[in-house]
Order: sequence, then structure tokens, then C-alpha cells
Amino acid sequence: MKARRINRLEFVGGAMVLSLVIVAALAPLIAPHDPARAVAATFGDPAGPSLRFPLGTDQLGRDVLSRIIYGARISLIVGVAAMALTMLIGVAIGLVSGFFGGAVDFLLMRFTDVMLSLPFLLLAMALVAVLRPSLLSVLLVIGLVSWTQVARVVRAEALSMTARDFVLVARSLGAPAPRLIIRHVLPNVAPIIVVMAALGTSGTLLLEAALSFLGMGVPPPAPSWGRMVAEGTMYFRTAPWLAISPGVAIFYAVLGFNLLGYGVLGRRRAS
Amino acid sequence: MKPRQLNALMAAAFAIFALGGCRSGSRGLNLPPHAMILRIAEVDDVPTLDPAAGYDTLSWTFEQAIFDTLVRYGEDNVELEPDLAASWESAPDAMTFTFHLRHDARFSNGRIVTSDDVRYGIERVLDPATRSKGMEYYRGIAGADEFAAHHAEHVSGIETPDAWTIRFHLSAPDPIFPHKLAMPFAAAVPREVVARWGDDFSHHVVGSGAFMLREWRGGQRIVIVLNPYYFAKGLPRLDAIVDSLGVDSELQWLRYEAGDLDLVAQIPPAEFPYVMKTPALARLVLRKTTVTTEYLGMNCQMPPFDDVRVRRALSYAIDRHKLVAILNGRGVPAHSPLPPNLPGFDPNLAGYSHDPARARALLEAAHLGAGFSFEIWMRADATVLMLGQSIQQDLAEAGVSAILKPVAWGPFLEAIRQPRTAPAFLYGWEADFPDPENVLGTLLSRTQWGSNNDSFYYNPEFEDLLGRAARETDFTKRYALYDQAQKIAIADAPWVFLYYPVIDVIRQPWVHDYVLNPMRPARFEQVWVSAHGG
Amino acid sequence: MLTWLARRIVFGVAVLAGTTLITFLIAFVIPADPAVAMAGAKADPRTLAIIRHELGLDQPLYVQYARYVYRAAHGDLGRSYVRRENVSTLIASRFPATAILALCAMALSLILGIAMGAVAAAYRGRAADTALLVVSLALVSMPVFWLGTMLLIAGGLYLRTFPLGGFSGPLSLVLPTVTLALGSAGYYSRILHTNLIDAMDQDYIRTARGKGLSGARAMLKHAMANAMLPIVTIAGLDLASMFSGVVLTETVFDWPGIGRLAYEAVFNLDIPLIMGIVLFAALLIVAANIAVDLLYAWLDPRIRLEAAR
Repeated sequence: MKARRINRLEFVGGAMVLSLVIVAALAPLIAPHDPARAVAATFGDPAGPSLRFPLGTDQLGRDVLSRIIYGARISLIVGVAAMALTMLIGVAIGLVSGFFGGAVDFLLMRFTDVMLSLPFLLLAMALVAVLRPSLLSVLLVIGLVSWTQVARVVRAEALSMTARDFVLVARSLGAPAPRLIIRHVLPNVAPIIVVMAALGTSGTLLLEAALSFLGMGVPPPAPSWGRMVAEGTMYFRTAPWLAISPGVAIFYAVLGFNLLGYGVLGRRRAS
Repeated sequence: MKPRQLNALMAAAFAIFALGGCRSGSRGLNLPPHAMILRIAEVDDVPTLDPAAGYDTLSWTFEQAIFDTLVRYGEDNVELEPDLAASWESAPDAMTFTFHLRHDARFSNGRIVTSDDVRYGIERVLDPATRSKGMEYYRGIAGADEFAAHHAEHVSGIETPDAWTIRFHLSAPDPIFPHKLAMPFAAAVPREVVARWGDDFSHHVVGSGAFMLREWRGGQRIVIVLNPYYFAKGLPRLDAIVDSLGVDSELQWLRYEAGDLDLVAQIPPAEFPYVMKTPALARLVLRKTTVTTEYLGMNCQMPPFDDVRVRRALSYAIDRHKLVAILNGRGVPAHSPLPPNLPGFDPNLAGYSHDPARARALLEAAHLGAGFSFEIWMRADATVLMLGQSIQQDLAEAGVSAILKPVAWGPFLEAIRQPRTAPAFLYGWEADFPDPENVLGTLLSRTQWGSNNDSFYYNPEFEDLLGRAARETDFTKRYALYDQAQKIAIADAPWVFLYYPVIDVIRQPWVHDYVLNPMRPARFEQVWVSAHGG
Repeated sequence: MLTWLARRIVFGVAVLAGTTLITFLIAFVIPADPAVAMAGAKADPRTLAIIRHELGLDQPLYVQYARYVYRAAHGDLGRSYVRRENVSTLIASRFPATAILALCAMALSLILGIAMGAVAAAYRGRAADTALLVVSLALVSMPVFWLGTMLLIAGGLYLRTFPLGGFSGPLSLVLPTVTLALGSAGYYSRILHTNLIDAMDQDYIRTARGKGLSGARAMLKHAMANAMLPIVTIAGLDLASMFSGVVLTETVFDWPGIGRLAYEAVFNLDIPLIMGIVLFAALLIVAANIAVDLLYAWLDPRIRLEAAR
């Protein structure tokens, strides 16, 4: 019974993520209007949902629904790419640290400590200020800031793997370290990496939305969901849907990845 | 966590809470029960109250109330009138100015204001240790540079022959020098108070103005009360002004509706259409076109903007009325570099209309019919970004692809001052004193390359006119020269003139005599509040 | 025990030193000329040069770093470029607002999270368990700034019960606390749930159940204490990081705390303030780490023994 429940989570999460990917990929076909052009003369006075514009138009006359659809692209690209970077750095550091132990481990972990003690969001904001906002800089910054958790978990797994007899024997026999890491440690660490990738993407998505909300994300007119919430907040008395709909989109995307991650985690634990 | 520990934690939290205190409104002020209080609010915290340091609307609002300068502007205009100085003379060569102080001005600590206090205030601004943004304006005084370099104890060009006279000698003629003395930088400052508080002077300011500082809780509220020693009898009419800080625009609006706030500056965009459509509210709105010009600057040294046809094309491509609509009508479309309330403004200058066809034709003529792409640098401000996107849309219609580049204020300024970094930028310039020199000279003169002429514009004829006008003491001839210069600037189009911002304030029906000034924050001394239920 | 503590403190100081170095490097890569930030747009190059000299910016980088560290060690974190106030005073004045919010939010999130996690574990495998799992995940998936904005609209605009932002009394504390607490609650409930399930599967618990204790009581009496331990660690570190400012919540609610200050500092590229806040945050985390380790050691006798060796 437990297995079925967990599979359900994975299934729902996976479906949500898949739907997101499809929307992002087919955006030009699905979106009714150009997200960057004014299609209604509602300047300074956003209009509510109507037949022509199901989610209304914003203060620059743009169709909100189209912007949300295209926004999926930004969220996915930044979220997934940043997660990939996070994984890359985190796994590399975790593996090296866990496998070699000793001084290497000590130094790397102290470095991780330093990174952990720096306030996340503040660091991200400052880095974006340094690098000047663009899709690439936001991606890089999120990736650079989020790897510590991954490194710690991978290190723990790597440590336990490295202590196993067969690895110790292989090492004493002079097998080269990289080969050992890749052939024996990595495959066993892989499942946890998959889980962290899913959960990590939900984290990077949230971080991207937060940065955009604070005005430090991908620059306009890119329809980043986070910034749409911020822009919509100005009109929340007369046009609350401007702030609500992009938030729902973020929630949907993050929940999808979380469900997927937990689903895979649950399945692994059950086994 | 065990329940008992939880209880302890909650108790501790509330203890800190109760002790920390967090008063709002007029509580805890010890004002007499029928005191006439004006309640206002700000979105941000006041940066500083130190007249040498402040250079923004909010700081100046309070500095004006707390300090006096030799001269100041009229209530709703930019004519100079006496403040600390009862009278003054300008020498015909515009290099010497003498001011005669009134004898009855006192600081709020009771001490009489003398010429030494005025000199001290200005020397403080010139002292590099103060890091004043106003240093610029007084470097024209003879001996200022020596003083700044610590080679002299006083500025030789400021003479105080007696306690009631102060004379300024300039290194070069400057007919508008008295206007620089109307800026809060030149306020009379009591040196003993600065000596006592040092760098914390800002939180313990003492001035000779109509009000004095009662309380300033960072991020929460600032309270000023009437200065019993103020020289103008019967003023101020108010007993106190309570300004709540860090209050969101929307919240200010709600408090206004509930009668808890007496004034709201900058009605939130979402409410604005509704307010203007409701006669009962619309009549309570005051509006003023500020002496600010918002423009899209183009770097005349960077291709393709080195071709005047391209610059003119952009001027025709951009729809100014759409921008004003996005701002809910809080702007006036701009057709010239000078804003309407500035002396020297010429309402007959037509500028450029919104004509996309003509824009495309000009681009064709410049061999750019296929379009081109460039970056527009701007501050990372929500309104600026909205306008940038509108401009982006307009340019796209003409086949030009504009990439928006929002950056923080510091990097923005640095970038636009480099000769080859920013091809275009969105900027606004607020005039500091009522003379065209402050706009045309400061922003478009060859001498300001790398400083404020971020368009790197140069036209020898224009330059010559500027030079002649700056020295001209006959104001009719002066403005005529500047007008000729303006026409050249419009034809050369180093900027796309966008709009002049309009500020608006809504008052409660019981607030009287609150008047907007085009160049300075509104003054409080003549404001009064009638009885009301709020 | 004492040597263990001393070692941890030394590590802590080393981490702080590393933090100052990284912060300093970032600060000096940030393309903001402080002279321009202070003197404003209308200053000419000579004025800027004068100001740069006064700030000591024409000194080599390592000299500036050394001066900074020396002053920081004495509590002087410099002056904000934009606000002209002492950074230390600024941070100290904003700290109470953040602290109150953090404490209340932590309390609420722990209550909610522990309740959810415990109930889910007690009804393990049943509908309530799944339902609570989904609820927890939903809470964790909500963007804080969006949740805050929605609560603000609902509570402040439509219901008109709560003030629209700002720190003005107990009522104004409610919405920001709930916003912060909900996300954390989801997070803690998951952790507790996982740990409880692990603990319940341990042998000694099975033995206790075999002796006749009902499932729920067995869990509460034996598993809870062990399962709570990691929560204490995480909550402690979480609290420390909340103390250094919750930027998103404070921005949405106009809360006059350190988070808001930090946002303004980055927005204005006010370097001394940014560095001051980062250092402050790092100090809190390092201190919290040591405190939590101590607490852990005290609570778990096995670790205490280990440290004493």
C-alpha cells in the first residue's frame, strides 16, 4: 500500500513537471499573443479577465496569459540550468571530500562552512549587482550559491561508500582514484543525486522567483514570474489577478518538482 | 520542545516586544491635548537631516523646516525672497554679493544667529571631511579650493565684517550665485551643536527654522515641533508634524481614506484613475509640473548615434503620450530640454511629434532601414522599467531593437560617464536653481564631458551661445540667448525629450494653505489644520 | 570538553575570517564608485578625487582590508555611504524588529510543524499521513513573497483587520509571522516525520511495543526525544539565519528590520552596510553552530562522552 501511495506522488509530480516542460517548449504555439507587445490600450489601467484575454491585460497593455506561458521558459531554463551547476559543484566537492578524507576533506568542509555562513539571498543579490542582471548571470549566481547542501549530503554518502571493504582493498591495490570514484562511489550516490536534483530545482526556481521579485532577476521585458508578482503588487487593489496568477504558476512549478523529488525519495526509502 | 519551554519562550518574546515598544501615531509625544498636528507618511526613511549632507526631496523637506538660509524661494514660485537676510546687494560685475542679516533670528536653543553661523555652514559643505554633495556649488567662492585642501583655516572669499553682514567674493562672475545660497546646503548651522555631536549631528540637529526636531526613530517616525524662537511671529501655525516612515503607498492611501493621514504625496497608480473621476476627491488634489526633464539620452560619439538622422528618427518613433498615459497622466509630454516652470522655458518650441513613418524614412536615409540593436541603460526602478518597456515597444515598430539594461544607481552613473560604454540611457534631471544654465550648461556643454554631459554632445555654435549667456546679467538678453541655444539643441536631438513629471498631493478637507512649489518641497510653516473628527 | 569547545571557537573565528575575505573581495569587485554614491550625480571629477582620498580608497587593497578587519574587530563597521550613519548603530537599531519576528515565527512554525509531523507519523500509512505530506509539500512550495502578498491583500485590504505593513503593534506582527511560519512548518513537519519513522523502526521501540504499549504512546515516549534532536539543530541554525534578516517577508510587509536594510543596501550598492550585515549574519551562524553543538552534546550523552575523550 505504501508503495502505491508513493508512486502516486511521483506520478502526479512527474505529470506536473512534464506539463510545464510542454508549455515551455510549445509556448509560441500555445500563447495567444506576443508577451512583449501591447495588445490592448490599457496603459496605466490594467483590465480584468475577458474572453479575448483570459487573464486580463497589464498596465503596459500586454496579455497576462501569454506572459505566464512564456514565463515557463525562463523558470525552467534558469531553474534547471542553475540546478545543474549546483549539482556539478556540489557533487564534485562532496565526492572529492568524502573519498580522500583527511586534509582535503578538512579544507573543503571549512570552505563549505564559510559559504554556508554567508546569507544566501544577500549573497545572490550582491553577486547579481556585480555581474549585471541577465539570464546568464542569474543562472550562474543561483548555481554558485546553492551547492553547499548538495556537497554535504554527497560527502556523507561518499564517506560511507569509501569505508566499504571493496573500495579499501581496491585503493590499497593502487587503483587510480578517479576510476574508483566514478565506477564505485558515484553509482551508489546516484539515486540521492536524482532526488536532490528534483528538490534542488524547486529550490532554484524559488530563488529565481525571489530575485526577480526583488528586481534583481532576468531583466524586462522577459516575463519572469517573480517580477510579474512584483509589478502586479502595485495594482493589487484594482487588479489583484496581476499578482495572483504568476504566483500560482510559481507554486505549481515548485510543487511539481517537490512532489517528484519526494516521490523518488519515498520509493528509495521503501526499498 | 516541551510545553513549559514553549511557554517560557513565548513569554520572553512578548517581554522583548513590550519593552522594545513600537509606537505609531501620536502616542508617547507629550503634546498638549488640542495641539494642531499634521500627520503625514513616507515610503522610505529620511536619509539625513544634516543640511550639508542631504540632497534629496525627503531630507530637504525637513531641512527646510528646521533650518534657514540667507534667501529662499516664494511659496509657490522660484523668486528669491528674504529669509535670514533682510536685504542684499549684488555688485554689477556679479562677483561680489553682500547680505544683511536680520537681528532677531534664533536657533532653537535660544542663541542668536550671526554671520559666523552662515559662514560656518558653507565652510562645512566645502570641507571634504563632510563629504557633502553640495561642494560643487560653492567652489566658485574665492579661496574655496585652498580651504578644501586644508591650506587655509577659512575660506578667504567669505567675509564677515560684523555679526550682521556677510559678503561673498567669487573667482568668476556668477549672476545666479544668490540662488545657490537658497539651497539647504547654505543653511546657518550652530557650530557648538556640531562640535558636541560630531558625526551624529544628523540625529540631533538644531536650526533656526520654523520647526525643531523632537524625535527621530529610524525607519519608524520623525516628529518636528514648533520652534518657539522662530523670528516670524505667528508662524508656524502647526504645533507639530508627525511623519510615519516606511509606510507603503497603498497603506498611506488606506489611512488617508480612514482619516488617519492628512496628506498623501504621490497617490498610488492603482487609485489614481478612481480619484480623478470622483469630484469630491479630485478637488482635494494639488498638482505641479516639476522642474525636471526626463529624457532618453544618446551618446553622440557612439555609432549609430553619431548620425543626427538616427537621433531624430528615435525622437519621432517614441510615443510620449503613451508614456504619460502609463503614468496615469502624471506628466506633460516634453518637446524641449527645459521644463515648463523654469525661467527661460519657451512654450512655442514644437519639438518632435509621434511619427513612426518619418522615423523609418530617416533610418532609411541613414542606411539603417534594416534596423539595428542597442542597449538602453537605466536605473533598476520599477517606474523607469515600465517606461523603458514602452519605449522598447515603440522602437520595435520602427525596426529598432532596444535591449533594456537596468543597473543600480552607482554603476549607472559610472557607466554613462564613460565615453564608450552606454550608447543610450534613461535619465531625468531636476534643475537645482531656476536658470537655463543648470540644464543646458550642465548637461550639454563640452566642458561637462565625463561629468554630466553624458550624451557627449558638442556643437560649437551652441557652446558659444552658452558662454555668452552665462555671463549676461541682463536677464531678458540672457534668456533670449538660451532660447537660441535650445533651438539648436532640439535640432541636434542629443536627447529624446520624453516628459516632465507632475507631482500630485491629496489633502484632507481640513488641511489648509498647503502649497506646492515647482522647485522645492512644499513648506509647512503656513499650513494649518481645522478641527476634524479624525 | 574544554579543548573541544576551544577548538570549535578557533574554527569559528577562522570561518569568520574567511567570510570577511570573501565579502571584501566581492565588495571591491562591485562596480560602484563610493565617491559617486556619496557625492552624487552632480559632482565633478575633482570633488570625487577629494572624497576618494578622504575615504582611503586610493590605498592598495590589502591595506584597506587590514584596516577594515582591525576596525571590525573593535566593533566599528564603518559608515553607510547612503545614510551617513554608523553601520553598527544601524544594524543594532533594526535588530529588535527582526528578532521579534524571527522568534514568533520560529515558535509558530515549530508548534505547527511538530504537530503535523507527529500526527502524520502516528497515522502512518493512512490517508491522514498522505494528506499531511501533500499539505507540507504545498506549504514548502509556496513562494514566501507571494504568500505574504496574498495574506496582505486578504487580511489588510479585504478584511481590513490587519495593518497593511509596518511594525505598529501586536496585530501587525500576525501576518508576517504566519507568512514566515507556514513555509518553515512544512519543512519541520517533514523532518520530524522522517526522523520519527526512523526512530519507530528501531529495535528498542519494537521491543517496547512488544511489551504492550500502544503505538502512539510508545512513539511519544521513546521516539520523540530522539527525533527532536536534529530539529533542535536545524531550528537553532534557522533561527540564527532568520535573525540576520528575512529579506522577502520584510520587503513585502515593510517591516523595519535587518532584511529590509539589507535589501536597500544591495539596491544602493552601499558597500559598508552590505559588508556589515554579511559579517553580522556570519557571526550569528557561527555562534549558533557552536551553541547548537553544545546543546546537542548536552542532550545526547553519547556525544558528551565522545567529546570528553
